[in-house]
Amino acid sequence: MKAVILAAGEGKRLRPFTETIPKVMLPVANKPVLEYVIDAVKNNGINDIIIVVGYKKEVIMEHFKNYKGVKITYVVQDKQLGTGHALLHAKSHIKETFIVLSGDNIIDNKSISKLINEDSKYSILIKEHPNPSKYGAVFIEKEKLREIVEKPKEEVGKFISTGIYKLPKTIFGIIGELASQGIYDLSSTIQSIVDKGEKINTIIADLWRDIVYPWDLIHLNETMIQRTPSSLGGTIEKGVTIKNDVSIGRDTTIYSGCYIVGPVIIGEGCEIGPNVCIFPSTTIGNNSVVQPFSQVGNTVIMNDVHIGSGSVIKNSVIGRGCIIENNFSSIDGSSTIEIEGEFKKLEKIGAMIGEDCNIESNVIVKPGKIIGRRCNITSLKIIGDNIPSNTKVM
Amino acid sequence: MCGIIGYNGFREANKVLIDCLKRLEYRGYDSAGIGIIGKKLQIFKEVGEISKLEKEIPVFDGDIGIGHTRWATHGAVTKENAHPQLSSNKKIAVIHNGIIDNFNFLKEDLEKKGVKFSSQTDSEVIAQLINENYKGNLRDAVISTIKQLKGSYAIVVVCKEEPDILVGARKESPLVIGVGDNENFLASDISALLKYTNRVKYLDDGEICVLSKTSIEVFNENKKEITKKEDIIDWELKDAEKSGFPHFMLKEIFEQPDAINRVLLGRVSEIDRTIKLHEKVEELLNYDIQSIHIIACGTSYYSGLVGKYLIEQLTNIPVFVELASEYRYFGTKNEKSLIIGVTQSGETADTLAALREAKNAGSRTLVITNVMGSTATRISDAYILTQSGPEIGVAATKTFTSQILILLLIAFKLAALKNKLGADELSKYIFRLKELPRKVREVLDHSDKILDIALQLKNVKSVFFIGRGINYPLSLEGALKLKEISYIHAEGFAAGELKHGPFALLTQITPVITIVTRDNTYDKMIANIGEVKARGPEVIAIADENDTEIEKHADFVIRFPGSSSPLSCIPIIVILQLLAYHVANLRGCSIDKPRNLAKSVTVE
Repeated sequence: MKAVILAAGEGKRLRPFTETIPKVMLPVANKPVLEYVIDAVKNNGINDIIIVVGYKKEVIMEHFKNYKGVKITYVVQDKQLGTGHALLHAKSHIKETFIVLSGDNIIDNKSISKLINEDSKYSILIKEHPNPSKYGAVFIEKEKLREIVEKPKEEVGKFISTGIYKLPKTIFGIIGELASQGIYDLSSTIQSIVDKGEKINTIIADLWRDIVYPWDLIHLNETMIQRTPSSLGGTIEKGVTIKNDVSIGRDTTIYSGCYIVGPVIIGEGCEIGPNVCIFPSTTIGNNSVVQPFSQVGNTVIMNDVHIGSGSVIKNSVIGRGCIIENNFSSIDGSSTIEIEGEFKKLEKIGAMIGEDCNIESNVIVKPGKIIGRRCNITSLKIIGDNIPSNTKVM
Repeated sequence: MCGIIGYNGFREANKVLIDCLKRLEYRGYDSAGIGIIGKKLQIFKEVGEISKLEKEIPVFDGDIGIGHTRWATHGAVTKENAHPQLSSNKKIAVIHNGIIDNFNFLKEDLEKKGVKFSSQTDSEVIAQLINENYKGNLRDAVISTIKQLKGSYAIVVVCKEEPDILVGARKESPLVIGVGDNENFLASDISALLKYTNRVKYLDDGEICVLSKTSIEVFNENKKEITKKEDIIDWELKDAEKSGFPHFMLKEIFEQPDAINRVLLGRVSEIDRTIKLHEKVEELLNYDIQSIHIIACGTSYYSGLVGKYLIEQLTNIPVFVELASEYRYFGTKNEKSLIIGVTQSGETADTLAALREAKNAGSRTLVITNVMGSTATRISDAYILTQSGPEIGVAATKTFTSQILILLLIAFKLAALKNKLGADELSKYIFRLKELPRKVREVLDHSDKILDIALQLKNVKSVFFIGRGINYPLSLEGALKLKEISYIHAEGFAAGELKHGPFALLTQITPVITIVTRDNTYDKMIANIGEVKARGPEVIAIADENDTEIEKHADFVIRFPGSSSPLSCIPIIVILQLLAYHVANLRGCSIDKPRNLAKSVTVE
C-alpha cells in the first residue's frame, strides 16, 4: 500500500513562523510535524510515500533527503486550491487502494494501523474535538459516515474529520469530476460518495493533534516531549544536575553548574551554560547557545538561536536564527489575543518571536506578544504590542 | 579521467555495472562500455551517456564483469576508443583510468612483434601487453605489465581463461575495493557502490588485487601478500540521489547551511571562545611558518585565492596560491613553508603530484579534502575533511564553501597561535562564524529574487564580474560558475584592472556584476561602477542589506544578509551559485553535466 501526504500548504495563521518554512516543517519536540506523519506511516510497513508539496518545497526535500530507507516521491501543487485538488496531483502514482494524510497533523502509529487493517473499501479516521466548528464536523450513523460539513455554523456533534482516509483508486475519477465543477476539497468528494450510497467506515484515532495558532507550538511540544525517549550524547561537564528524562544531542556541551529538570530535549551542536537552569517541557533546537545564568522553562527554542546571559524565558516560542542578547525577559501571564476578528484569552503565555530577529540587551516582552520575522529591537525596550515582520524598534 | 567498475558476485553483472556506472557518470560521459564473462567474453560499447548504453545493451548472462565511462584524453570519442579495450586475440579485456606516458614506445615495440592495434587509446596498450605477458596466470601477467608502464593508471582486468577472477591495480589514479557477502567490487569511487555495500578496502599505489566471489587478496609488485584493513563508509546512498530537486546542483546549494554546520561542529565553541582543529593540524600550524603555498586546480584554486586574502589579512604570513600543474614543475619548495593542498576528491592528479614534490623538498603538507581515505589524505602530514558528503553536480558548490570555511578556520587558528588576534576579537569572529548557517539560509529564502535578476542575464553574450580584495577571487568564481553551466562567456576581474585592458571588451550589452562590501574598498568600487556606467552597460550589484547608498549607482541590487565582514564571502558565494544556476536553468542547459567537463580530474 502507498500513502499520499498533503504538504503543500503555507499555514498563514501560524505566521511569522511559516514565513520561510511550510507549516508541515514546524518543529515539535525537535522534529518537524511531517516527520511524525511519515514515521507513523513507515512504522506500519508503508515505505512508498508520495508527498504533495508546494509552498517552500525545498525545505521539505532537503530535510527528508536521507530518510530511513523510505522511498519518497514528490509531486508539486503550484496553486493550493484545496485538499482534493492536491490529492489529484498524486493520481499517476496510485494503482490500488491507498491512504491519504495531511502533513500538518501529528498522528500515532496505532491509529494508522487500525485504518489500514480495517476491511472496508472506504474508511475515515475521526477524532473527538471540543471545538468542531473550526474543522470538518462529521455525523455518524451506526459507525458509518452520514455527513461531513466543513466549518459548520451551528453547534454540531463532537467528532471531526482528521483528513486521514483509506480510499480506493477510483476516488480520482470522482475528485476530477468535482474539480471540473470548481469544487476542490476532499470533504465534498467524500460527501458525494456518501450521497451515492457508499458505506464509509469511521474509526476513532487515538492521538491526533493539530497546530492552528503559534501558541499551539508550546502546548503540542508539552504533549510530545513526554513521548520522546531520553538519550544523553555530547559532553556533560562535571557539576551538572540532570533530573527526569533529558535528551542531549551529539556535539552538544552542557557546561558545569547547569540544572536541568526534564522532560527536556536539547539538539545537536548546542552550547549551554555554565550555570543555566532549564525547566520542564523545554525543547532547544540544533546549534543553539544559551549563555550563563539564564533560565528557560516550557519553551520552544528552534535551531541556530543565541540567548544571552541572565535571560528569563517562559512559555515562549523563539524562532530559528534569533540572536537575543543579555538580560532578555519574556513575562508570562494571561493575555487576550485578537486573531481573525475573534478574541482569545490565553493563560500563562510568554513571547512568540519569529525567526532571525536581533534583540539587543535588556529587552522585555509582555505576555502573549508576537514579534514578526527579522525584527531588530534596540536595547532597553519594553514590547507591549505585536510587531510586524521586518520592523526596526529604535 | 574516467569512471571504472568491476563486479564479481551472484547478481546479474549487467545490471549491477550499469547501475554503478550511472553513479560514476560525473567522472566523464562521452562514451561507455561493458564487458561480461559468461559462457564467453562479451563486450558492448556505445558513444554517449550511460542511459543510451542501457537502452541499447543486449542481454548478457554472467555474474562477473567490468564497466567503464569515458572522458576522452587519448583518441577521439568513438566506439573503438571506448573501453573495455581488448587484446587482439580477445582473451584479455581491460578498463583503465589514467594516462600511460610511455604508451607510444610500448605500442611501437608491440607493433614490431606483429601486434595489430584497433584503437588510438593508450589503454589498448595495456590489454595487448598483458596478453603478451600472459603465461597462464593473470595476476602475474598484470604484475609484469605494470612494471613496464610509466604514468598513472587504475585498471581492472578480466581474462577469458580465468573466468572466476577480477584483477585490479592502481598507481596515482583512484581504485577502491568494495567488500560484500559472496560478492566483491572494484570502483573509482566508493559512492558508486553504496547501494550494495559500505565496506571498503583502500588500494595503495603499486598494489595489485585479485577478487573472487568470496575472497580478496592484495599483493605488492614483488607478489608478497599484504593485509588490508576494512573501513566502513558512513555516507548513505540517498546522499547521492536528487530527492525531489530538479538538479543535483540545486540540492547541493540547499545543503549548504547543513554543510557549514558540519564544518563548525566540534571545532568552534562560543562559550569556550576556541577554535579546535585536529591535533596533527595544530602541530603543523605551530611550527615557524615563513610562507604558505596553497596548491589547487579549478574551483579549489579559487577557494585558495579567497584563503590567501583571509590568512594574510589575519596573520601577515605571506600566502602564495599556485596552480598545482604549474607549482609541481616551477614553484619554490623549502622546509620553512607550509603547503596546503586543496582537492575535493583527494585524487586530483596534478595536486597529488605537487604535494609529493613539496614533501620531497622537505615542506610540511596539509590537505583539505572531502573524501576520507583518498590518496591526498594518505600522502600528507595532516588533513582536514570538509565532511560535505558526496557532491554529484559537476559545478562545485557545497564543497567550495566548506573549503573556504576551513581555510578561514586555519586563518583564525594561525592568528590565535601567532598572537595576531586578541581573545576578544577572536570571540567576536567565533560568534559570526556561528551565524553563517543562518546567513546562508536567508540567501536561500530569497532564491526567487535572484531568479528575477537571472532573467536579465538569460540572453546576453558576455558578462563581467568585478570586485576588490577578497571579492576579486569571488568574481573569478562567479564567472567560472556562470560559464561552466550556462555557456555564457563570463570573466572575473579585479575592479582596478578594468581600465588596464578589459574595458576594450565592454559594450553596452555586457552586464557587469559588481561585488561591493562596505570596507576600505567601498568608495573605489563606487567609482568603478561609475566608470562602467559611463560606457553604458547595466550594473548588477551584490551588496549588504544595510547599504542604502548602492541603489543610487547600480541598476539592480542583490542583497546579502548582515553587515559586510570577511565572513560575508560565504553568503556572497551562495548568491553567485544561485545566479549561475537560475541563468543556466532558464537557458535549458544540462546543469549537472556540462559539456566537456568532468567532476574530478584524475589525469594530469
